[in-house]
Amino acid sequence: MILALALALTTVPAHATADRSGQEPQKRWTIFADEIHTSAGRTIANGTVVVNGGKIALVGTGREETPEKELLKVHAVTAGLVDASVRIDSDAKSVEQSREVSPSVRVADSLDPFAIEWDRQLRSGVTTVLVNPPDFDVVGGLGVVLKTGGPESIAARTVRANAVLRGAMGSQPSVGNHPAFGRPTDFYSRRPTTRMGVEWEWRKAFYDAAASQHDPSRAFPGSDLVLRALSGDLTLAIQAWSTQDIRTAVFLKEEVERELGGRPRLFIDAAAEAWKEPQLLVRSKTAVVLPPFPMAAEGNRPAGRTEDGAFMTLEVARLLYEQGVPIALSSHGAAGIESRLPMQAAYAIRGGLPFEAALEAVTISPARMLGVEDRVGSVEVGKDADLVLWNGTPFEPSSRVVGVLLDGVLKVDPRAHE
Amino acid sequence: MLVRNTRATARLLCAAVLLLLAPAVFAGGKIAIKVGRIITQAGPDILNGVIVIEDGRIKSVGPDSKAPWDVEVLDHPELVAFPGYVEAHSTRGMDRPNENIDVAPFLDVRDSIDPISFFFEDCLRSGILTVNVQQGPPAAFTGGCVIGAQGMVVKPFGLTIEQMLVKNGAGIKISAAPKAGKSRATQAQTLRKAFTDLRLYLDKLVQDKKDGKDYARREALYQGRDLEKEENKKGRAMEGSSTWKVKGLETVPRGEIDDKQEPLLRLVEGKIPAFVYCDAAASVPLALGVARENGFLAGTTLVLDGDAWKAADLIAEAGVPVVLGPNLMHVERDPVTGKEIETFVPGVFKKKNVRFALQSLNPQAQSLWYQAAVCVGYGLDRKEALDAVTRTPADILHLGDRVGSLEPGKDGNVLLLSGDPLSITTTVQYVVLDGNLVYDRSKDVRVKHLLEGVEQENAVPGGADAQAKPHDDEKAGEGEKAEKKKDAGEKKDGEKEGKKDGQAQR
Repeated sequence: MILALALALTTVPAHATADRSGQEPQKRWTIFADEIHTSAGRTIANGTVVVNGGKIALVGTGREETPEKELLKVHAVTAGLVDASVRIDSDAKSVEQSREVSPSVRVADSLDPFAIEWDRQLRSGVTTVLVNPPDFDVVGGLGVVLKTGGPESIAARTVRANAVLRGAMGSQPSVGNHPAFGRPTDFYSRRPTTRMGVEWEWRKAFYDAAASQHDPSRAFPGSDLVLRALSGDLTLAIQAWSTQDIRTAVFLKEEVERELGGRPRLFIDAAAEAWKEPQLLVRSKTAVVLPPFPMAAEGNRPAGRTEDGAFMTLEVARLLYEQGVPIALSSHGAAGIESRLPMQAAYAIRGGLPFEAALEAVTISPARMLGVEDRVGSVEVGKDADLVLWNGTPFEPSSRVVGVLLDGVLKVDPRAHE
Repeated sequence: MLVRNTRATARLLCAAVLLLLAPAVFAGGKIAIKVGRIITQAGPDILNGVIVIEDGRIKSVGPDSKAPWDVEVLDHPELVAFPGYVEAHSTRGMDRPNENIDVAPFLDVRDSIDPISFFFEDCLRSGILTVNVQQGPPAAFTGGCVIGAQGMVVKPFGLTIEQMLVKNGAGIKISAAPKAGKSRATQAQTLRKAFTDLRLYLDKLVQDKKDGKDYARREALYQGRDLEKEENKKGRAMEGSSTWKVKGLETVPRGEIDDKQEPLLRLVEGKIPAFVYCDAAASVPLALGVARENGFLAGTTLVLDGDAWKAADLIAEAGVPVVLGPNLMHVERDPVTGKEIETFVPGVFKKKNVRFALQSLNPQAQSLWYQAAVCVGYGLDRKEALDAVTRTPADILHLGDRVGSLEPGKDGNVLLLSGDPLSITTTVQYVVLDGNLVYDRSKDVRVKHLLEGVEQENAVPGGADAQAKPHDDEKAGEGEKAEKKKDAGEKKDGEKEGKKDGQAQR
């Protein structure tokens, strides 16, 4: 009865276009699962999820008669996974090289909807991602929140355009620049050449943007976006691997709050060493996206060591969670079965993070950081029908993603594996 | 030289620290283990059981086993006992195993194995208690071989090869994949020629004997072989099932056969196994062909990689077991549609009823337990998956009577796990090897470091490596980033890295 009522209420018009064969994909599914992990505070045993027209129409325990072709039976269901830091197509080709502060550059313009990487993400259960401009510039530009599948245009897959203003601390933005002793030799005889310089560029951008409000001569291309980041209207995402750089980012946030009256909404990306000073993140109310766990040695880099010489412990996620720091996990777009996002959650669990918290760290928590929690990140009625179907306990290496629904369309079919 | 010394010293120190901290009670291999659950890998699990080990061997396993009064009891009702994992083939744990000579079966990895290599330490903490160490390929920095060295089965504990030894002459490594700088054709030719050369050599020995020449005898004495030893004294007709035979070999005392040729003769006679590496399906026919012609197919195990699974039918027909490559999922791009196609390799061999063992992807996180867990996720039975990292590799190594399960008479190797072997939260808490407690996770400094960032007491800030050669780590990390502004960056590279040193040592 409840089922029928819910269906009647939620006949959402299908907005996705037909595929190339001209056929409208089936968008009505009923999923019977032994466990539904909702990411919304409850787990439902022997539950049912009904999907209609691209939205979740019902989440509950009732099991009505369902036509065979609309029925999927699996062990577990979670929300589509959200990765707040994938690096797809983010190579040197999509870097603005003329300036170190290029807030108005939009990474969305450099993305290829036909790239193979989207499929890889989708197969591993990741349905929503934040794609950032590469971190070779101090302020790289605007990141975009996208679905990993669907219509073959970036615009149509966009969940939130210009979702974050993205930049970096640390050594990466200054790589390749060199000081001009005497005569500049080329284009890269410029600042920043050091960590100090990187931070200086950040502060200059904020102070210039703030001053441009009364002194237009201090404005620069994109200074309006920096102003929006300052006011908290535009989320600020800063990459900082090591403690030193995490401090710099947090101190920058606190400085602009103090000196410029700003209220930036900051999350730190790739904060491998956040375990060293979690209280700093608590104090400044800063969220954290963790990079992939360096579980094994890679090249000359031993296990535990990440970029910028930062050391990431296995317990970092648990530690931050216990301190109340909002965390998200990321695979940085890795495709191997041992490094995909579900495995990152597994590693966090191995480090002591409770299952529920690990689940949230790959679903609703990043969704909140990106401001898209009204559409994705949990299994709740009315949200986008992005669902991951599992053949065992989610994130255990002995279970895997057998099915993926994206906007109600079955992208990976669990019946194919039977 | 300085660098090498510093590193070696640091490693020796670390190894020493680990050994000191492990409560290595060498009570003559005598111990009793009481746990909540014993997964024997030989029949049903035993709840609240006791494993008694005496003289390094398992004496009894069962719910009612009684420990002798004088034995130390490891009493952990919260833990699960499991047999040690068995690595059927690994090219790790050696120091510079590279060999330029194409055909070198007279070499032995015992001379390359580095007992204090971190690899063995990692094996111990992830529960791999039996490792078949073989020369590459595949291995980093190894050009590969045509016929490589003889491998050795070791346990990951001890400071000398003698202490680590489980089994000598574990098998000769052969590669059907082109060695660096060779084409597939020259690889095949060199491989076949090695056996032709053996045959010609033996023919000549027989002829020389007929002609009354004693070159071989003099050479043998020069090489320092004891010709009076029983097995060296007499000649013996050629054994084995090769398609060729050497007439009159019985006239040549075995001791007179050159050291360089003797291992191949043993291979052909079926007295030593072969591990034949196939990088792709294309090399499988060569591998099987050479093994068939020369009569060692029965002793052959294929070590597979890449798309070699596509030759599964050939392999099934030949009836040889396989050691699967560490990447369980083979991904290739359809050349026409551009779509990626994923194939789960163990699934293929399961369907064809080929016996297979798994390999670790790396010694740290994607160790054998993980590989087995992934297999369960992709549809293998739990038993099949666990067998592929215990019993099957033990059989492949002809050690089925010693390792791979917890049964009376077998080696006293037991893991004490915190939970189910295939769960992400499970860790190896204790390792008992030959009846001696050799590993205690609570005292493992490196685990503490990786978990909580706790430095060991004698650690040099930034690490001994960082002090000795501060550039290496940074370079590896910077490689891809440097691409952006490559042209501009080149000139002042030295200067930049100078600046980064400060960061590396932070």
